[in-house]
Amino acid sequence: MAIEDIFEAVLTFNKVAVAEGVKAELDAGTEIDSILNEALIGALDVVGKKFSEGEMFVPEMLQAAKAMKAGLEVLKPYLRSESVASKGTVIIGTVKGDQHDIGKNLVAMMIEGAGFEVVDMGVNVDADRFVKAVSEHNAGVLCLSALLTTTMPAMENAVAVIKKSGLAVKTIIGGAPVTVTFADQVGADGYSDDAPSAVELVRKLMAT
Amino acid sequence: MNATERMNAAINLKPVDRVPNAPFYEAPICTYFGSTFRAALLEDQAMADAHLAALDEFRFDWVMVGMGLIGGIIPEALDCEVSFPEDVFPVIEKTTVESMKDVERIAKADVHTDRMERFLKGVSILKKELKGEVPIACEYISPFTIATRLRGTNEIMADMYDNPELVHTLQDALVPLDIEIGRALIEAGVDYIFYGADMECPLLISPNHYRELVHEPTAKVVNELSRLGARVLPHMCGDIIKAGIVDMLLETDISGIMPGNLTQASVLDLRELKEKVGDRTCIFDNINPNGPLLIGKPEEVATETRAHLEKAGGMSGYIFSTSGTTSPNTPRENFEAMNREVLNFQWA
Repeated sequence: MAIEDIFEAVLTFNKVAVAEGVKAELDAGTEIDSILNEALIGALDVVGKKFSEGEMFVPEMLQAAKAMKAGLEVLKPYLRSESVASKGTVIIGTVKGDQHDIGKNLVAMMIEGAGFEVVDMGVNVDADRFVKAVSEHNAGVLCLSALLTTTMPAMENAVAVIKKSGLAVKTIIGGAPVTVTFADQVGADGYSDDAPSAVELVRKLMAT
Repeated sequence: MNATERMNAAINLKPVDRVPNAPFYEAPICTYFGSTFRAALLEDQAMADAHLAALDEFRFDWVMVGMGLIGGIIPEALDCEVSFPEDVFPVIEKTTVESMKDVERIAKADVHTDRMERFLKGVSILKKELKGEVPIACEYISPFTIATRLRGTNEIMADMYDNPELVHTLQDALVPLDIEIGRALIEAGVDYIFYGADMECPLLISPNHYRELVHEPTAKVVNELSRLGARVLPHMCGDIIKAGIVDMLLETDISGIMPGNLTQASVLDLRELKEKVGDRTCIFDNINPNGPLLIGKPEEVATETRAHLEKAGGMSGYIFSTSGTTSPNTPRENFEAMNREVLNFQWA
């Protein structure tokens, strides 16, 4: 199985084929970077694009991410021993009072798929827990999610508490009701309106 | 015209004396008028008092209740672990469906919990006080959206490929329970069922999945509630025209369509929707509750509101509304600016 076949297997949600393909490429001596970036991350980038364009939806993104993860599991032992280092750590969670996790999960999967370490704090996370996690993991980016207009104030509070803590972490906010204007107003470092653009934003902020 | 006459005329696409004013106002008024936020959402007399005070001040053309119902009372009645904080909406702490065997337990649930009865009593108090002059609308959720509450959104979305039978079976179990809740609401005095279909919107699932998994249970619930005497008003975000969902909804006994625009990228054009539905059903407007209304200045709110009203331009079957929940943090002066603009507006 070639790189292109693994890529295609991610897009068709074929977990078994992805895992077998990755193993075959490893056995054939293909560079780990190529398998990771061209087959797995490349495919998930396409999935993200299709989602943004309304050609794929949440269930399809979840399936593609699962297929990609099946490949990552096979790669993992080699990732640790090779020079394919993590690109940095991202903390993510849904803010206090909000139980919605679908958007947050998609963003987490996409960011992880892009090669970052992701610490998923889950839902209903208060500001102090975010501060503690950022500090513990020396995270470069903190992603805050909210689906409800009613929990957007908790997002504002979390950004304020992070700023006050003095931690050198960039904050990104997102979620259906969140707008770029709101992000500017609460002093977040970034805003994204979907998972693929969140990945791009993380890449950009980690590079600064 | 009183509010009931005005709203019913608009729903029947008949002339009205002014634009019907029916925003999703519950969260801010619980903040403005509630003894506490929780009490105004959930507790019979406190709920009625807050809505009546709001009605006096804002002259809405409906009373809109039910955020506590869909956010906490229904999930709790169906075995979720729910907390009811004092100052925010209820929070589902733990979901309740892990496998098919849990569905049998859910199917036997008694939805008439104490909290449900208190809520229904609040509706009854409002019904008595309003004397039929103002209709009562209640938020309500579809079997699919309830399923995501009970099992978890992520899990249901994954089940659509991994275990579609569970999605079908869970909804089949929820249909009679949802109808039972709807029947109780109607008997308590609810006139309009605001049928929230948040999780099956075309921002999240494909049109194919909607048709395959959601359309049938939706039709069963909508048609039965309509038969029981309610006006059923489905609400959904995203491009419901392109996804073909408007066509599917029009196959059911709906009395109006309430498009949402919770994400900025997917504001549905009202004129386009009107062209699609013609004279078959009324349309609720979709002013963004998270735009100027939440974070702008009153004059910006007035401008945006006026733009929506002008765009509607004498459209038959037009009802002013917001595209979804208004935040409890909506500045009162902004809410007042929106309300004033609607009440004073006259189409040229």
